[in-house]
Amino acid sequence: MKRSILGLGALVVAASLMLAGCSAGSPASTDSATSTGGTLTLGSAFDATSWDTADAEFGNRLQYMQPVYDSLLHIDSKLEITPWLASAFSYNDDNTRLTLTLRDDVTFTDGTALDADAVKANLEHFAKGTGQNSITLALLSSVEVTSPTEVVLVLSAPDPALLRNLALVSGMMASPAQLDTGSLKTTPVGSGPYVLDAAATVTGSQYTYKRNADYWNAEAFPYDSIVIKPLSDLTARLNALKAGEIDAASADAKSMAEAQASGLTVGKMLGDWQGLFIVDRAGAKVPALADERVRQALNYAIDGDAILKSIRLGEGESTTQIFNPSSQAYDASLDGAYPYDPKKAKELLAEAGYADGFDLVIPDVAGFSDLTTITVQSLKDIGIRVTTEPVSADQSISKLISGEYPVFIFSWGSSNAWQDTIKLLTPTAPWNMLKDQDPELDTLISAAQTATGDDADAAFQKLSAYVVDQAWFAPWYVQNNIYLSSAKTAATMQPQNVVPYIWNYAPAS
Amino acid sequence: MALFLLRRLGAAVVLVFVIATMTFLLMSMTGGDPARNILGDGATVEQVAAKSAELGLDQPLAVRYVDWLGAAVTGDFGRSWFTNEPVMTSLANKFPVSLSVVVTAILVTAILSAILGVTAAVRRGWVDRFVQMFAVLGFALPNFWVALVLVTVFAVNLKLLPATGFVPFATDPWRWGLGLILPVTALVVGTIASTAQQVRGATIDVLRQDYVRTLRSRGISHRSLLFRHVLRNAAPPALTVLSLQFVGLLGGAIIIEKIFALPGIGSLAVNATLQGDLPQILGLVVVMVVLVVIVNLVIDLLTGWLNPKARVS
Repeated sequence: MKRSILGLGALVVAASLMLAGCSAGSPASTDSATSTGGTLTLGSAFDATSWDTADAEFGNRLQYMQPVYDSLLHIDSKLEITPWLASAFSYNDDNTRLTLTLRDDVTFTDGTALDADAVKANLEHFAKGTGQNSITLALLSSVEVTSPTEVVLVLSAPDPALLRNLALVSGMMASPAQLDTGSLKTTPVGSGPYVLDAAATVTGSQYTYKRNADYWNAEAFPYDSIVIKPLSDLTARLNALKAGEIDAASADAKSMAEAQASGLTVGKMLGDWQGLFIVDRAGAKVPALADERVRQALNYAIDGDAILKSIRLGEGESTTQIFNPSSQAYDASLDGAYPYDPKKAKELLAEAGYADGFDLVIPDVAGFSDLTTITVQSLKDIGIRVTTEPVSADQSISKLISGEYPVFIFSWGSSNAWQDTIKLLTPTAPWNMLKDQDPELDTLISAAQTATGDDADAAFQKLSAYVVDQAWFAPWYVQNNIYLSSAKTAATMQPQNVVPYIWNYAPAS
Repeated sequence: MALFLLRRLGAAVVLVFVIATMTFLLMSMTGGDPARNILGDGATVEQVAAKSAELGLDQPLAVRYVDWLGAAVTGDFGRSWFTNEPVMTSLANKFPVSLSVVVTAILVTAILSAILGVTAAVRRGWVDRFVQMFAVLGFALPNFWVALVLVTVFAVNLKLLPATGFVPFATDPWRWGLGLILPVTALVVGTIASTAQQVRGATIDVLRQDYVRTLRSRGISHRSLLFRHVLRNAAPPALTVLSLQFVGLLGGAIIIEKIFALPGIGSLAVNATLQGDLPQILGLVVVMVVLVVIVNLVIDLLTGWLNPKARVS
């Protein structure tokens, strides 16, 4: 008996010795990065999926692709588009032919040279692929190779988002030798500033990139290596940041105070708007919704400012528009269009002949329950008889996009104005599920599509004003994306993307 | 013995088949749309249809099932619909993570709860009260809370141990061990609490048996009595608890995996289920069932070895 207690004591001693041993061993693993070159370690809310350029996504997963794949054009944190793999680019008069002049000193990491044929092969690979962004090249009708260093993108109609997309997903260039082999899905081969270091990469846990020795523009990328760790849990990302294991990661409004107290830098950028999608604008399921006064009443009925303040801790700005504040379509003067005014909402309902309200079923989507409760109460207050149906998280997108619900609460990651137009407004847009069409809207959309220069901004703003007036949606506020970085890392926030692009990081001076 | 093993093996094959079939049917019936989940919110109906065809989802259920089964029998579980990684490769990546954590946790649990339980049963008095108190506390403290406290103290404040991540044993055994200390500690607080209680209870029961008194009266040394007679008879209930805990931890350590960002099978299972990644889920289920069968078999054999009364004829 004595012995067993002695044994217990020995175990405790052994354990404390082990802990003491750790303290001697661990600093090497935490203080790896220095201010010159060194390693940038990022935490990502999402794991990498496919490495095939055809499957490239915007948002979080862009960070996995940008180190290995260079794009034809470049976009900076002011949304300015500049030459990159294409050393020059120009449109014809009606924006239907885009001529790209290519650099002649770029090779892929498998030794293949980047030339006009490689660009053509890549663009076709992307357009024909089944990736979620193949739609971004939907207007590309052909690619003409006019010389080894020049291609012309021929469009079936002007695409105001094309240059931006060529600087991001659809312009990513992979080695043409690998495009059809299927190997790209698991092994990236690009011409980017870094290469994926397979030996130091563990799928699902850590992706390590080291410098591409032959890269043509190494000065633009200060770090010698980049490590991205998928940390899906926010608590894990915060702990890893505080322990110095990662240099930067996304967070949310609720974790800001804790992060600041730990000496982390908080970056903010207006990103997603939240509010109602009113998709049954023709009144197919709920006839009342065909009347714009009813849709406007929904805009007046809910106190978006109060939700922003209480649920989102004030991290954002109130809005009535579907377009991102950084986009050309945004017009600040529209944001006062629908102040919270339940009395006015009731009057509008009465004018439309619905003084006694009407029946409405909205989905209670997992993750939006707090917003659903407020919405139901607010709509009941103006006399609409609302009931809810639960929708699980894994089915939310397919249920909502099926058009089953005439009105629902959603969070929309707004980005480029044209991108949002073809996703939300056009008769073929995936989020215009009931294919609503309005001749005046069609005119405004096509004006925005074909306008150039400053005229384009004005045309898009008129489009935004019309959508606000017709109340196709009821946005409440646009909330801040919150991004945290350590004291030794300077991360520049990127408009229209939830996390910074890989070239937005530098060692803090 | 050979017959026993053979029967067990046959039962295992049937079990794997039945569970895989049920999983396939249930997943097919839940109505989630993997093609839509892969393509996200911007895809058109045509794109989703094209993706569905690429995944073979346009085929009738029976055809898809037979295709899957035919390939699975040859060991080919296909590729994940989301990551394009072969299912077996991703399982080969994730299982070592979960097994590292769970096997270590079970070993620590077995050793510590045996020491605590037997000491409490034999010494009673203040040792017993201390063990009892620890057990209640261990039950009451949720393991994610323990985990968060441990991370805050040992990783964030003291910077003694890593807060997140997993290093494979083959890469660096030292850092592999360091990375396991916090997650394993968080897990064993609860498992030791319940197992130590089992050991204590079983040992006290056996100590009260007539044959123990008889043996003692014959002058058998206390040590021999405890280790050769009492522990052997007290072990089976504890082993059963351990085997249940092993199976539970394997899939149930999900919160611990998330907090420590361990790329184990718990997170894999949840993500694959939410996304509707059928090949991944089926591969996972089959391997899990095989593992559970093996664990149960090992526990049965161990029980038989310890206690001849429990041996199968």
